[in-house]
Amino acid sequence: MTRSSFVSRSFKHWSLLPGVLLLAALTLYPLANLVRMSVSTIEFAEGSEIWRFTPRANLAQLLADDVLRPALVNTLVFVVVSVAAEMIIGLALAIAVAGLVRGKQWVRTAMILPILVPPVAIGSMWKLMYNYDFGIFNQTLTALGLAPVNWLGSTSLALTSVIVVDIWHWVPFVFLILFAAVEGLPTDLLEAARVDGATRWQVVWRIMIPLLRPAIIVAFLFRTILAFKVFDEVYLLTSGGPGTATELVNLHLYKVFFEQNQLGYGALLSLAVIAAIVAFLVTARHVSVAVRAQ
Amino acid sequence: MRQFLRIIAVFATTAGLSLGAAAQQPFADVGKQPPITILVASTPWYPAFEKVVGLYEQQTGNQVKLDTTPFGGMLEKARNAVRTGKSPYDLMFIDTQWTIEFYEGGFLAPLKEIDPTFDMPKEVLTYGDSGYWNAQKRWRTADGGKLMAYTVLGNVQLLYYRPDLLKQAGIAPPKTWAEVAAACARLTDPPKMYGFVVRGEKGNGIRYDWQSVMLAEGASVVKDPAGGDYTVTINSPQAKAALDLYIDLLKRCGPPNYGTLGQGDVIQLLATGKAAMGDVVTAAFASFEDPAKSLVVGKLETVALPAGRGGVFGAVIGNWNAVIPKDAPEAQKKAALAFSRWFLTSAAQRAFAQAGGIPNRSDVYTSDLAKEPRLRWMPAYLETQKFAKQELGYAEGAQVEQILGLRLNQAAIGEMSSGKALNTAAKEIEELFGKNGRKTGALPPLPE
Amino acid sequence: MKLRHAGVPDSARVPRAARGGWMGRTLVALALFAVIGPFLWILTASFKQQIAIYAGQFPFAPTLANYAEVLFGRRSDFVGNIGNSLAVASISTLAVLVVGSLAAYSLHRFRWPVWVSAGFLGWTLAFHMVPVLTLLGPWYIAFRELGLYDTRAALVLTHVTVNLPMTVWLMSAFLREIPPEVEEAARVDGCTPLQAFLRVVLPLAVPGLIAAGILAFIFSWNEFPIALTLTSRQTATVPVAVARFAQQYETQHAQMAAASIISTIPAVLLMLLGQRFIVRGLMMGSVK
Repeated sequence: MTRSSFVSRSFKHWSLLPGVLLLAALTLYPLANLVRMSVSTIEFAEGSEIWRFTPRANLAQLLADDVLRPALVNTLVFVVVSVAAEMIIGLALAIAVAGLVRGKQWVRTAMILPILVPPVAIGSMWKLMYNYDFGIFNQTLTALGLAPVNWLGSTSLALTSVIVVDIWHWVPFVFLILFAAVEGLPTDLLEAARVDGATRWQVVWRIMIPLLRPAIIVAFLFRTILAFKVFDEVYLLTSGGPGTATELVNLHLYKVFFEQNQLGYGALLSLAVIAAIVAFLVTARHVSVAVRAQ
Repeated sequence: MRQFLRIIAVFATTAGLSLGAAAQQPFADVGKQPPITILVASTPWYPAFEKVVGLYEQQTGNQVKLDTTPFGGMLEKARNAVRTGKSPYDLMFIDTQWTIEFYEGGFLAPLKEIDPTFDMPKEVLTYGDSGYWNAQKRWRTADGGKLMAYTVLGNVQLLYYRPDLLKQAGIAPPKTWAEVAAACARLTDPPKMYGFVVRGEKGNGIRYDWQSVMLAEGASVVKDPAGGDYTVTINSPQAKAALDLYIDLLKRCGPPNYGTLGQGDVIQLLATGKAAMGDVVTAAFASFEDPAKSLVVGKLETVALPAGRGGVFGAVIGNWNAVIPKDAPEAQKKAALAFSRWFLTSAAQRAFAQAGGIPNRSDVYTSDLAKEPRLRWMPAYLETQKFAKQELGYAEGAQVEQILGLRLNQAAIGEMSSGKALNTAAKEIEELFGKNGRKTGALPPLPE
Repeated sequence: MKLRHAGVPDSARVPRAARGGWMGRTLVALALFAVIGPFLWILTASFKQQIAIYAGQFPFAPTLANYAEVLFGRRSDFVGNIGNSLAVASISTLAVLVVGSLAAYSLHRFRWPVWVSAGFLGWTLAFHMVPVLTLLGPWYIAFRELGLYDTRAALVLTHVTVNLPMTVWLMSAFLREIPPEVEEAARVDGCTPLQAFLRVVLPLAVPGLIAAGILAFIFSWNEFPIALTLTSRQTATVPVAVARFAQQYETQHAQMAAASIISTIPAVLLMLLGQRFIVRGLMMGSVK
């Protein structure tokens, strides 16, 4: 066997190997540890950890958690609304920007700016913008003679305000992925359709979007998972308040795991969150299959 | 130009500190020590601490490294440092609500075991004995407790007010919460001026600020934790009176978004001149006197937090405690203690106060420093030390805060009545204590 | 099959059929306004004094003091922090692109048993669902044992791992867009699989690589919890430095704004340069 054919024959294997090694080294133990923690209670004494096997107590705590229910409901609403908005706006923008004759690179660079802002700064700066007495939104409203709005302090409006921040923050993510996908579409196919008399709308709807399906799925998948894990937007903005209006699952997890130092219950909670994400994605898939069947 | 002036100012202050130091009673001579690393959070008083550390290095030639960490990451950094066998830090500053976790976990070295000759100077304020741990009683008390920590910086809240506005309305600085309510009704004029601003934010914000009123009305969360009796007393008539008073203040005298006001918001309202009175931490005083951060330079005065109907004063202590991890190398533990000895001297505390920090020795508060206009909060601060208390000093503290922080906020924004909020909180807290094997019970529920 | 390539001028690349109309242009204008508006607000805040931000003053007296304090202040290691972030983000992005595209190509091109391909993709997705803060404890202990605590290497390794799922999935999606006939043609011409990958497939996947690379870079640049846990003062990255302005009682908005603006500049520059680098590098060896 010559050297080059050995390399090429095992290219199949060694191209997958680095990924497998990295994942094995850095993810196996933490995930196993997470599962182990979820059925234990961990306490500290004399400077060391004491683990006790308490699956039923942890489960009972999960079921009795009063904050978890509103947190799940809020998170669901948050995920559905933000992801839908981001996907639609991101897709529309990707197609629109791809159709620009000039300045595409600049527009793309400008569109990335929101995800470039440090996470801490996003919460703080938007909190200032939403500020009741001095924020720019209320200042504009009062300048126009309208009444100021209690963006973050009203239980009915707070979650919407958080969603707006999330949309601002994450549309660039969807845009980037879908823009790259649109750029990779075969142009002659689109030309042929136009020559055949299709309107721009039909080209977009019947040809482009079906071709973009793999990218749309990936964008949706990752955007959904990231939406379930949202933290920066909420932590400095509202800290889950007022009341439980913006209490989100990952924020609650942070409080349980970090602030209250309940490692065992926190681990169970994170597994519950993962289960919720999986349930959501499976439902979404069924819905999309049903919709496409019509 | 301003940048240039600032640089000059920095040099002048350091020079002034050193000269001033030389003119004072001598600093402690702690001898040659190995370098130490201190874990400290990025806070408004950090620059003052850094200056004092610079003074220490200058005088003793010993090196001190400061690992400045964002406040949000402080607890986790401290925990990681002690849980893995060899601590990267020799001295850590932890917030009062985290101390129980570290004391009970056995992560720290009692200060007297590092050096039996180490003694807390008697002029150092006690701050509710947060530095002592009695393992049998599971309570922080000097009575039978080991010395685990000392206070680096004690922050209590003071009543800030605008004497010009009060004089205009013919009101004297309030001494009771009822006077605050009466005064703020006359001063409030939304949206131009809010009579009294205080935190209503869910969580630590409303919990901490409300508990000062709670203490003033003679109420408490648990009956006698020092004696082991964790009967929940949060839903008492006195507590309800305190909550009703608090919510009334929030609604009548604060901005419409009172349910989300945090400390930063309260400071913002006072600094922009939109509030006539406010309940704010002592450490904010310096920023009110900074023209880059305030429109009311020289216009704010402070007085101790008011009393309740029975004439009882109430205030909650929040303080940073300096602890030494058990797993730090021995020589460095001694060096950290040596630095602490130096830091606790009167001269060092004076330097700390002049640099913008809050000193922890009563003799600094009664010295000539208290007459400086910049430090005119000192009398109110010393007065508060007479009655300020530590709250939530048990292992379940963080969870109790979550419960109270949510229910109080819900009562404030009107999601439930004050009676129902306190009853719900009481039930949840009682369940929590019961689960942890504490001796607990409940009061009869309040009318909802 | 005519495919789009980077390096060809814009106007030549957008045939009449795919050009947007006035609706598209309006949408883009609105989006740019919505996106840049808050960013401009942060920019103006960075030139204001704290009280001007508090009071929402406009117009205001501009000052450079915030930038001076962030960059040259006595207790500021910001320039060093930017250096750390640059190093960690660029290296981890390169690494994750290499590891991720290789893995994606392997799974896409070759026949693997279902348990391997579904298992690998599924494991990465499951791992992506786990909240990062539950991983911090084990990683802290592991890196401390290895003596890698407080090093940039630890950050690079963890960032590559955390960004791997998205890179692999993205590259899978983009590789699927490439028609298999192109690769077949290359094999017929005598290329080894590696050569086919480097000379034919990757150049065609450039838009995907750029998107995945930009995202991996940004995620690494702005990554906060892992950087906070695994670093101390010297190795801290930009998000940790910016978080220092969110203090216990109040946020120093002016300095935070200045720090945020400063932090976007190297990131944008590096992305523009990196894009060109990827495009040039791959086009050099490409075969039509």
